[in-house]
Amino acid sequence: MASRGVRPQPRGKPSGLPFHARFTDVAAHAGLRAPVIYGPPDRMDYILESMGCGVAFLDYDNDGWLDIFLLSGTRREGPVEGASNRLYKNNRDGTFTDATAKAGLVRQGWACGVTVGDCNNDGFDDLFITAWPQNILYRNNGDGTFTDVTEAAGLLHPGKRWGSGCTWVDYDRDGRLDLFVSNYLVFDFDKIPPTGKDPNCNFKGVPVNCGPRGLVPERPMLYHNNGDGTFTDVTARSGIGAAAPGFGLTAVAADLDGDGWQDIYVACDSTPSLVFHNRGDGTFSEQGLLSGLAVNEDGNEQAGMGIAIGDFDTDGRLDALKTHFAEDTAALYRNAGHLVFEDVTLRSGLGVETRHVGWGDGIADLDNDGLPDLFWVTGSVFPEVERKHPEFPHKTPRVLFRNLGGGRFEELLDGAGPAIAEAHSSRGAAFGDFDNDGDLDILIMNINEPPSLLRNDVRGGGHWLKVKLVGTRSNPSAIGAVATAVYGGRRQAQPVLGSSGYLSCGDRRLHFGLGPAAMADLEIAWPSGVRESVAGLRADQLVTVKEGVGVVARERFGS
Amino acid sequence: MTRTVAALLAIAAGMSQAQDQRPGVEAHLSRGAQLMQDQLFEAAANEFEQALELNAADPRARFEFAVCLVSLGRNDEARRQFEQVRQLTGESRYVTYYLGRLDLLSNDYASAIRRLGSLTEEPPFPDTAFYLGVAYISSGDVAGGTKWLERAAKLLPHDYRVHYRLARAYSSGGREQEAAHEYGLYSQLRDEHKNTEKDVRECTSALGTGPLATAREACHRIYDPNDPEKLTLLGQLFGDAGAFAEALDPLKRAAQLDANSFEAWHNLGVSYFRLERYEEARAPLEKAVALRPNFYGSVVLLGATLYMLGEDDAALPVLERAHRLNPADTETAAALEKLRARRRK
Repeated sequence: MASRGVRPQPRGKPSGLPFHARFTDVAAHAGLRAPVIYGPPDRMDYILESMGCGVAFLDYDNDGWLDIFLLSGTRREGPVEGASNRLYKNNRDGTFTDATAKAGLVRQGWACGVTVGDCNNDGFDDLFITAWPQNILYRNNGDGTFTDVTEAAGLLHPGKRWGSGCTWVDYDRDGRLDLFVSNYLVFDFDKIPPTGKDPNCNFKGVPVNCGPRGLVPERPMLYHNNGDGTFTDVTARSGIGAAAPGFGLTAVAADLDGDGWQDIYVACDSTPSLVFHNRGDGTFSEQGLLSGLAVNEDGNEQAGMGIAIGDFDTDGRLDALKTHFAEDTAALYRNAGHLVFEDVTLRSGLGVETRHVGWGDGIADLDNDGLPDLFWVTGSVFPEVERKHPEFPHKTPRVLFRNLGGGRFEELLDGAGPAIAEAHSSRGAAFGDFDNDGDLDILIMNINEPPSLLRNDVRGGGHWLKVKLVGTRSNPSAIGAVATAVYGGRRQAQPVLGSSGYLSCGDRRLHFGLGPAAMADLEIAWPSGVRESVAGLRADQLVTVKEGVGVVARERFGS
Repeated sequence: MTRTVAALLAIAAGMSQAQDQRPGVEAHLSRGAQLMQDQLFEAAANEFEQALELNAADPRARFEFAVCLVSLGRNDEARRQFEQVRQLTGESRYVTYYLGRLDLLSNDYASAIRRLGSLTEEPPFPDTAFYLGVAYISSGDVAGGTKWLERAAKLLPHDYRVHYRLARAYSSGGREQEAAHEYGLYSQLRDEHKNTEKDVRECTSALGTGPLATAREACHRIYDPNDPEKLTLLGQLFGDAGAFAEALDPLKRAAQLDANSFEAWHNLGVSYFRLERYEEARAPLEKAVALRPNFYGSVVLLGATLYMLGEDDAALPVLERAHRLNPADTETAAALEKLRARRRK
């Protein structure tokens, strides 16, 4: 990670428009009280300790309520009592019960990323976790328990590797979820230079942990799902291995050019980000530079952390938001079609915010006004620095840009509830409706603190529509599908993702704010290539659409 | 020549000769210039503000203050200051350039195109065409933007930003072959830039830790006989490490390649001075002072050089100027006294 010394753009006059979402951190009330251990509490001697991990919203027991999976780290000096990845079952009353032990998921280590999806087509979501030094695949047994099947699946690798981003992706459209894993850098506690060793280990004159510059970057990997519980490493033959090494973090799979095949976008830290264009024949070509997604509009690489995919300008194409280091802006890319993206960061008004290191992010309609907003969490990687430079605090607030329409955004420093200004050193973030009340809540990983669960209470009367997709020819999780809602003169596309934000995974039920529109039409592009339309859906309900069948269930929350 | 110097010279030329130069203004300008050179823009802005408190009608101080504000991202304030400079000096290409860039930053593409487009006959800075191209592209006029980016690529062939933007413009216009060529140039220049950063780190480290012979080998990777910026950088690295004899060759070459490079002339003069080769120090320092008359470091060194050469008559006004630029420097004051005493004898 590195600062680019970018100064913020001046803030314009506030629009004065009301924002109808209000966020309150209810984690403690909900029972999410255990801290997420990640390195020492007051310093970060190694880059591994500073990067933190992701979180996930999932419905592991198929009861229609979002459960929570929190990754965890540990400490170099030895295991920390109680530190573990944690699974919390949703009690459907705003609280959660720790189900980690019962589920067989107790594990302490350096977990990083998570992707959730049904990889064996048995109707239950499985979990893949990246970690240093070895990734893990958990099969969901369908009875509330999980089994570590990493070795049986052929996913054990020799030596130590720092898996970071990961996503399920059906890249060959065979109806089975394959697996993409990005790797950050070559890491070994005993071989990394000590704090402050050289210019790569200093920030503003303060000795800090070394990297990623000066360390050895890694390459991503692709595993093909054989359909028998095993995976085959196809990194070389798919062309994924041909890309230049980089400091890969979050990986997101989505059909970015609308050709029906899943592409993969990898946020890289201090090296050009990667875009793997799916050629449709089992191979990929790296198109980061040509797509415009590798670097910013001046051709400078940025410290890519998190990626959000959504349609901020409601033109029916998937756009992208990438978060970066402090003294730099996040990057907002508008999809111009044919895998060409324009960097519209400054034009859209995002240049006002450069204060914090950005991580997990989302393009999500938080106030149900029909226009997707932008949100990201922040936090420093150098706790030592704030002692000398108070202007670079370790714990920093959340960032929210409300969508003003016309491609313009306005940062809301307050006015969206108390949880926005609360300061933490956060990393992963997942978006989902944990209390099934028709809006989007946010789950956040905070280093060495309990997580935050930002309950959203939306007023203002904006309508909404939730869409759950179930694949039949496609993978059952429908990962890779794109649903486009047509409402009030807008066309908003949303993908079903296996991973997003920073190393995290959100609610696969797509949430469309509709504003004043009481009806919406839906167009679905399934990962199998099938296209389907559903007309005249009434607002304020969850509809379940089964591939080739149509709407199979409707649910009005709270009724 | 740096853009600030060029702009100041032009603005100073347009100033009323009769204006009041109260004591202290020059000193603030000089300190501000040094702070800007060190990219300490907050502190530099403070100096220029103090100069303006002493003489609110000094367009040089106001212009420099405005440039600082641009660097600090205080764009609205910068715009107001530039407008005031214009009131003081009349139309200025330099002010128009910055106002055009501020238009671009505030997404007012039509105004940016109008302002920057008015400068194309005699652009104040080489990147004028670049920003004009960006303004056209941002306004949706890809063909217009491409034209100006092509010109920018000729004027700034080593600037990877220009080639990247031009590649994107070609891509948008469906000119894939030309886009591929520009992407190639961009990647090559970007790699070179990163390699230079790495080489500079290694050179600095070698100069700080090992014998000069070893460092010479590490530092030689920066040497590019055709790139004045790299040559100047190499000379500065040697100079910072006290290896002044090593600094001479790259700095001489840099000054040959870019006769308007203040940094090359100043550092060359410093190197000769430190080697006590005063005859040879004189010309480069005179060049440096001509390019940046308010830069205290060059002025005082030129004064000291002339003094060492025994040219007291020439040294006196230079040291007096140095003293005005930095009245707090006791060594300059003492040298001036000594010189005056010697002349009285």
